[in-house]
Amino acid sequence: MKRIKAVIVKEFVHILRDPTSLVIVFLMPVLMMFIFGYSINYDLERVEVGIIDLADNELSRKLVKKFVNNNYFAVENLEEKYASPIKAGEKLLKSGDLKEIIIIPSDFSEKIKKNRKAEIGIIIDGSDSNVANLVYQYNERLVLDFVSEFRNMDEFLKIHTKVLFNPEVKSAFFFIPGLVAILLVMISALLTSLSISREKESGSIDLLFISPLKSPEIIIGKTIPYIFVSLIAGSIILLFARFWFGVPVQGNLLVLLLFSLLYIITSLSLGILISTIAPSQKVAMFATLLITLLPSIMLSGFIFPLESLSPVLRAISRVVPATYFLRIIRGVVVKGAELKHFFSEGTALVIFAAVLLTFASIKFSRNRKKAK
Amino acid sequence: MRIRYLVQKEFIEIFRQKELLPMLFISPLIMIIILGYIVKTDIENLPVDIINLSKNKAANRIINRIKQTPLFNLKHVFYENRDTIDALKRGEVKAVIVFRDSLEKPLSKYTPERYPEIQVLMDGVDSNTSAVAAGYFNGILKNYILADIGRTGIGLPVETKTLIRFNPELKSINYMGPGIVALLLTILTLFFTSISIVREREQQTMDTLLISRLTPLEIYIGKAAPMAVIGLIHMFIGLTVVVLWFKIPIRGNLLYLLLAAFIFLATILSYALLISTLVTTQQQALFFSWFSMVTFILLSGLFTPTQNVPVGLQFLVKINPLAYLIKIIREIFLKGNGIEYFYKDLLFLAAITVIIMAISLLNFKRFISK
Repeated sequence: MKRIKAVIVKEFVHILRDPTSLVIVFLMPVLMMFIFGYSINYDLERVEVGIIDLADNELSRKLVKKFVNNNYFAVENLEEKYASPIKAGEKLLKSGDLKEIIIIPSDFSEKIKKNRKAEIGIIIDGSDSNVANLVYQYNERLVLDFVSEFRNMDEFLKIHTKVLFNPEVKSAFFFIPGLVAILLVMISALLTSLSISREKESGSIDLLFISPLKSPEIIIGKTIPYIFVSLIAGSIILLFARFWFGVPVQGNLLVLLLFSLLYIITSLSLGILISTIAPSQKVAMFATLLITLLPSIMLSGFIFPLESLSPVLRAISRVVPATYFLRIIRGVVVKGAELKHFFSEGTALVIFAAVLLTFASIKFSRNRKKAK
Repeated sequence: MRIRYLVQKEFIEIFRQKELLPMLFISPLIMIIILGYIVKTDIENLPVDIINLSKNKAANRIINRIKQTPLFNLKHVFYENRDTIDALKRGEVKAVIVFRDSLEKPLSKYTPERYPEIQVLMDGVDSNTSAVAAGYFNGILKNYILADIGRTGIGLPVETKTLIRFNPELKSINYMGPGIVALLLTILTLFFTSISIVREREQQTMDTLLISRLTPLEIYIGKAAPMAVIGLIHMFIGLTVVVLWFKIPIRGNLLYLLLAAFIFLATILSYALLISTLVTTQQQALFFSWFSMVTFILLSGLFTPTQNVPVGLQFLVKINPLAYLIKIIREIFLKGNGIEYFYKDLLFLAAITVIIMAISLLNFKRFISK
């Protein structure tokens, strides 16, 4: 214990001697959260739509009104603006100024009145499939609304949709906790990834090699100080999420802190393993950013739902620590979930940390033997 | 032609680092293939539970419908009331659908046109998914009921004929693929160039360069040119994979794409050299370039539409060179647009390039003369 303490003290001195890096570690996440918290947003609003109403009578105007009185669409009447509206519409679609064109044919109302099928022509810019899909959904919904109004469908059907946990359906509730998970793993892993590779570069690693300390002692001693640094950074991030973005913590704060601690230890272990392998700080840093950033963003459910990944990628997602922490933090922060809900996730994080630390010790003692 | 020797030296330095070589040439390949498969924004297999308390036959028919759609992955159907919140909290299911009969009328009064009351409890955390899922679900129900009524003689009075342009199968890879090609031009060039000068300073080899007869401009170009070559190689690897593996057609003119790529490379390289002269250690350089990279990417419209960026931050999109490149590349790939559609974007990109290059060069000269 005493020997580990010596390593811890030494590492703390290292950290405190480089205040610039410390400031970067604390400031960067806040800055990133500020920019990303505002920019990553899936809520689709005011999609530019051009309408060409060739029927232009009471019934068709009712349909147009459905599209106008709606937050989803920003409607533009192409007939008023252009001499040849269809051609102009095509051009605007190509330049990306319009995402959709709706054409109501001149026999629209007549057909409905005669109980024959009336058709509406719709052209969607499909390049962004996600947007196109949402636009298609909105269209169908509005048209069905329009139909059900004069068919009195509401009498037949009662659907009560209740959105739980996030009643205003804000995407910030989804992204901000996720962002906390990403930033935590990145910063923690980055911190430790440099700790051993730095000693390699400066040559002071030899002093550690010839010391009587056992390899696991060095590895653990080098990890512990960073737990505090990461916890401070983590608290800053969480406070920012709470008070700036107004994402309230529904669950128990202690539960959140406990799991954050586990997650931080796992991330630090990942960094220290990278550090034992990488020959220089540059390689360590680059490897850490690649290893933590891409999988944590792409394969953890941060942006893309895990359910729609292919089986192989889903299997990979199970070894990404962020996957587990993301489920935990979203559960605790947004849904008010409790400790008992996340037993398996917590176990997974502990196992990750143990495996990573073991590998790091093995690799370190190998390096040591080679040096001798 | 003194520059040639500097370029040669730079190439030697890049290729000497054996552990970096695979990263340099295999990473774009891995990145584009993995990204191509992951970046699927289509929503499917949403896990749901159903609680069916209804004695109405329509409920079973609707449940069958739900079973058949690929959107939902029906986990359990329960026939008694139970605590629904727990499964939602644990995240096992994303929605619980409850069917129950209205209590207003006795059961015998049910005509075939009466349908059970339906309650949908959605996990709203992922707002995008829940919005789409709720939309689909409403669509399923309304279509079902309209068809059911239709059996009595009256058909659905309005039908939409939707034509999807540019990406008729709505494959997300067609949209993401070209964007990822733009990404490849950014990542390594930014990283490697940003450390190029600060490294020489850290290793004290900068002085050797300074006492040589090279002018600052020559050093500047000599540092940037090799990375431009590597960036272009990456782009070609990306283009090849995108066209041959993911079978995304290039509908427009490849020359415009190259033009845009060249202008973009000039921006990103001068930006990286600017970082390199401003920082004091390689570590800081990596941190700054990495931070810039993530900002460039997230504000570029690659993953989420740029219209969603709030008004106050829109200027960040306007000065983001990657946003212009991605827009141009996508237009060339998917829409086959000619230059008349994106000359404005190209001009903006060029303007940004000129400004960044000027700042970077001035700073570089000052840095050298010190």
